[in-house]
Amino acid sequence: MQVRIIAEAFDPQAEAAAFCAGRDDTGALVTFCGYCRSANKGAAVAELRLDQYEGFTEKEITRIVQEVAGRFSCPDLLVIHRVGVIKPGEAIVLVAALGTHRANAFEAVKILMDYLKTDAPLWKKETGPSGARWVEPRAEDYARRQQADKPEAGAA
Amino acid sequence: MVRLVFLGKFGEMAPADLSEVTLPGGVRTLSDLQAWLGEKAPLLARAMAATRTRLVLNQEVVHDLSRVLVSGDEIAFLPPMSGG
Repeated sequence: MQVRIIAEAFDPQAEAAAFCAGRDDTGALVTFCGYCRSANKGAAVAELRLDQYEGFTEKEITRIVQEVAGRFSCPDLLVIHRVGVIKPGEAIVLVAALGTHRANAFEAVKILMDYLKTDAPLWKKETGPSGARWVEPRAEDYARRQQADKPEAGAA
Repeated sequence: MVRLVFLGKFGEMAPADLSEVTLPGGVRTLSDLQAWLGEKAPLLARAMAATRTRLVLNQEVVHDLSRVLVSGDEIAFLPPMSGG
């Protein structure tokens, strides 16, 4: 299990390849990568800034990953999350799961993202031509997070 | 002396002199601290009351506002988080 909070741009394909390199004990690799968009709700985005709470952010994300790993019996999970200034087109987050079969790996990645949206101690500020604004989870993010808590969520 | 950490939008609203503070005698618990912040930084306190604010004491999430503070504690105020 790996959790990395990094301030530099990274290559999600290379990270995913390195994550499963040399593994012959798994039958599935599922990845999700979230990218910074150049527009949000019709407004141009020049850059995003993600703030962390040093130490606590990594600790909390690790706790979430451990919980998901236990629930879905995935042989391995990876979360890489950017902090600092992120430009459109750059990757913000990579979540990857190795599974013995595809179902658990798909569900682990989905549930991990549902948790990260509302429970990862990160704060996102979007800057565009009309100014800057803090981005907060949407109602559907909270709804998905609530759904993810249910034991039957992701039952494979 | 305690250390106060204001994350995200709270960080922009918090007066700079609130990062390290000596609490007055009557401020013993987290709940007292919140009330004290209401006097020291009313705009910030209002913003914290109006949203889902989480409190973290020495890197552990706390729900019990009766927790007694001691010198050297670090208390963080977290607005709604937005990872991913």
